[in-house]
Amino acid sequence: MARRSDRVDSAPGSDRLFRFVDPHVLARISNLSLLARSVVEGFISGLHRSTYLGRSVDFAEHRAYMPGDDIRRIDWRLFARTDRFYVKEFEADTNTSFTLLLDVSRSMSFGSEGLTKLDYARFLAASLAVFSQKQRDRIGIVTFDEDIVDFVPPSAKHLEIVLHTIERATAKKPSDYRRPLLKVAEAIHRRGIVVLISDLYAEPEAILDAVKGLRYKGNDLIVFHVLDPAELKFPYAEAASYQDLETGEAVPVIPDYLRDEYRTLVQQHIQKLTRSLGDNQIDYSLLDTSMPLDYALFHYLASRERLTRTR
Amino acid sequence: MSFLAPLFLLGALAVAVPVIIHLTHREKKDVVPFPSLMFLRKIPYRSVRRQRLRHLFLFALRCLALILLALAFARPFFESSRASAASALGPREVVFVVDHSYSMGYEDRLSRAKAEVGGRIQSLGGEDLASVVVFSDRAEILNQPTSDKEVLEAAVAGIQLSARTTGFGPGLKLAKRILDESELPRKGVVLVTDFQRLGFEGEDDDVWLPAGTVLTPVDLSSTQTENLSLTSVSLERDEASGRERLTASARVTRKAPADAAPVSSRISLEIDGRALQTKPLELAANTSATIGFDPVTVPAGEARGTIRLGDDALPQDNVYHFVLSPGQALSVLNVEEGARRTRRSFYVERALAIGDRPSFRTESKMLSQLRASDLSGTDVVILNDVPSLPAATAGLLSEFVNKGGGLVVVLGETSSKNSFAEGASELFPAPLGGVVDRARDWGGTLSYLDYGSPVFEVFNAPHSGDFSGAKFFRYRAFDSVVSEGVLARYDDGVPALVERRLGSGRVLVWTSTLDTFWNDLARQPVFLPFMHQLVKRAASYAEASSWHTVGEVLDVERYLAMVLEGESESGASGRSFDLVITPPSSKKIVLPRSEERALLALEEQGFYDIRRAGTGGGASSSSVAVNLDTVESDLSPLDPEELVASVTFRETGAPGSGGVEAGDSREAQENRQGYWWFLLAGALLLLASETLLSNRLSMAPR
Repeated sequence: MARRSDRVDSAPGSDRLFRFVDPHVLARISNLSLLARSVVEGFISGLHRSTYLGRSVDFAEHRAYMPGDDIRRIDWRLFARTDRFYVKEFEADTNTSFTLLLDVSRSMSFGSEGLTKLDYARFLAASLAVFSQKQRDRIGIVTFDEDIVDFVPPSAKHLEIVLHTIERATAKKPSDYRRPLLKVAEAIHRRGIVVLISDLYAEPEAILDAVKGLRYKGNDLIVFHVLDPAELKFPYAEAASYQDLETGEAVPVIPDYLRDEYRTLVQQHIQKLTRSLGDNQIDYSLLDTSMPLDYALFHYLASRERLTRTR
Repeated sequence: MSFLAPLFLLGALAVAVPVIIHLTHREKKDVVPFPSLMFLRKIPYRSVRRQRLRHLFLFALRCLALILLALAFARPFFESSRASAASALGPREVVFVVDHSYSMGYEDRLSRAKAEVGGRIQSLGGEDLASVVVFSDRAEILNQPTSDKEVLEAAVAGIQLSARTTGFGPGLKLAKRILDESELPRKGVVLVTDFQRLGFEGEDDDVWLPAGTVLTPVDLSSTQTENLSLTSVSLERDEASGRERLTASARVTRKAPADAAPVSSRISLEIDGRALQTKPLELAANTSATIGFDPVTVPAGEARGTIRLGDDALPQDNVYHFVLSPGQALSVLNVEEGARRTRRSFYVERALAIGDRPSFRTESKMLSQLRASDLSGTDVVILNDVPSLPAATAGLLSEFVNKGGGLVVVLGETSSKNSFAEGASELFPAPLGGVVDRARDWGGTLSYLDYGSPVFEVFNAPHSGDFSGAKFFRYRAFDSVVSEGVLARYDDGVPALVERRLGSGRVLVWTSTLDTFWNDLARQPVFLPFMHQLVKRAASYAEASSWHTVGEVLDVERYLAMVLEGESESGASGRSFDLVITPPSSKKIVLPRSEERALLALEEQGFYDIRRAGTGGGASSSSVAVNLDTVESDLSPLDPEELVASVTFRETGAPGSGGVEAGDSREAQENRQGYWWFLLAGALLLLASETLLSNRLSMAPR
């Protein structure tokens, strides 16, 4: 506990050297909450210069007064200049629901370099949770494999529960997207931000079909595609039986002869996901677990911010 | 190149193992866990299969080692090396044993046999000696062992089909004798035959070939044989309207595969070369049929008859010859005393009236009326209880008997010891004695019968005639003991039937009556056959067969005597003429008068013509029909291995023979098959190299 308090104490005041903490180093820190927090804090320290916090009270536009409008929203200064009634419109309230959908299927337990995808996803989820808490959003989490494992509804007071859920998430069963995500879509009543963290081992059409329900309910859907570098590069040299972590099925494979085709297929899969999700206004981001998480997160959020501004 | 165990070559398929290993083998580490095989499974499987071989040199080593192993186990040997190895072992003594039984006439078997032997003669070495033996049920050597191939080829070319049946024993025995006499180090027998099963009589120690002899069977048999054959002919003769008629019937057998379709043919009856009748015939596979011809009138003289079947693959057994001789009735003159004639001869005449082989022409005469002319043309005279025999009549009868006639003397009530006193004593084996009366002890019986005698031999078999039922109440005895020629005795030892040779003829004395006065034999079932046998014996009758079988030996003189009635002049002094015999092949044989017995071995199928030298034929000539032994028609083959196993030497055979297997010597076999050692050594060398190389490859950094 002493060590934990040391890290907690030191984290807020940590210098810039900790901005890009290697995820491998993070894996050695047992307390997930602390680790996640440190990452997010390191991240936020760079993000404060952005306009995120003031965004929810930003003026959007004027519109002509319509009978029934609240007269308190009339811009009297404009009336004074133009002698006409105009109502001020503002951006939506940024105090929104932030729901994490964390895939805890068995394929997520894969990690070629010590850090599993699930670990990485937990860091990511925890970071986002803390990050959202900082935004005063309501935080919830859903862990799922072939069905929903844990469901924590969004709440401003649920950070600890969310972090705890993240911490005890284990990969046990094979994955399915349609059934758990449809259930989530039915359970979430308020529009908000929904973040799906998964390795997306399903056909793009099936994934799109599963997440459509969330999207059509007006949620802002963000998909983080977490992949191990081994899954992307297929660097294996020796011929061996490769066993599917989810089904247990084994296939004899000689990597030398399959690697190129495998890489092509993976890239095609990613491209398809990018295209099909993009077409449905769903953010898609590929996260390589060999990349430092804070860098990846920063990179994503920064680009999202740029896109938001231009919208 | 050939292989002793070619099935081991299948082991070369093991080459697939290194191919699979090199294509798909992965060093067996732990299974690699992977999140999902979704993409790997999308890659077509053929792309996994269609892979390049890795470590080509190692792969070649492994394949080569496996192929060499398979070759080594298949035990290869080279024919050329065999020849060179054989020449190194010294010259050979080879006996070509060629079957020329008439079954070799099936299709082209004989010509194939000649071609086969001709080819093997050409492959003989310069110092090899060879001889040709032909065999059927007997064997003949055609040439002495020689290395002259021309002589051998000429011997082979001269092989003719014989009319005999197959028997492997004689040919192999002759071959064995030749090999036993040979001093050459290597011996071989080439048996060229159609391997008929009938020719094999099982194992025979006498035909075991010398140790080390290579017996090479050349099988000319066909798997599917079809043969139509005349297996037997029956000739029934009877009289109708005073003329003798012949009713012939023939039995035809067809041997063929079970699924063969029925075959149609024609069968014809020929007499003296003219086809008198032809009948259609249809036979299913492995069936027989008897075809009866309509009766035909027998020609007056001797006639040659043939029953002929349509041609097939083995035409030799489709012909059956026979000779129709003129009627062979025995002429019997029954002489008796007048007053009791009817009663006394009743049973004799009735008994002789029945019978067709031969038939009897019975004539009765009073003793007082008997003249020399009556005896001419008579075969047998029966003196049935005559009271006296005048000296002149006794002289006539004595002369008649001396010339070959038969005399049956029946003693009875009227015959007394004085009846034959004057000049007739030579007709009797001993002087006649008094009457033995057995009425007091309920009659005597015949207690001894000489079953070796032609009179009684037909009664020898069980249930073929019982003389013990006959009661003899009276009979005559001889004054002195008769020890020779007694064919039957009563239970008190008195002779009942006595035979005496006189010149060329024969006298039979029956010491009781042939009616029911002194005994009841005439009422017994055996009386009729007894009378027939008695008269036939007295006439020295022997049935002239209508045909003979190839292989029989014919006593030509006797045959002529039988056929040419009354012209026999044979006697103790021998023939006074030469015999000219013309076999079917028309090469005349002369049997000179100096030859003690005129015996003729019947070797050809067809008609033999026999006549006296200096005569043009006609009445003084005769024909003999000779047919094949029809057992040869059964072409069912024998497994050559069975025969080889039964005549070649075995290790468990006679002791002291060295236990050498049949075939080449061990050294020769090893020399020819020794390549497997080199192959095995090569394979082991390659495997050792493979071990080294694969170890180095596995230790090499990746």
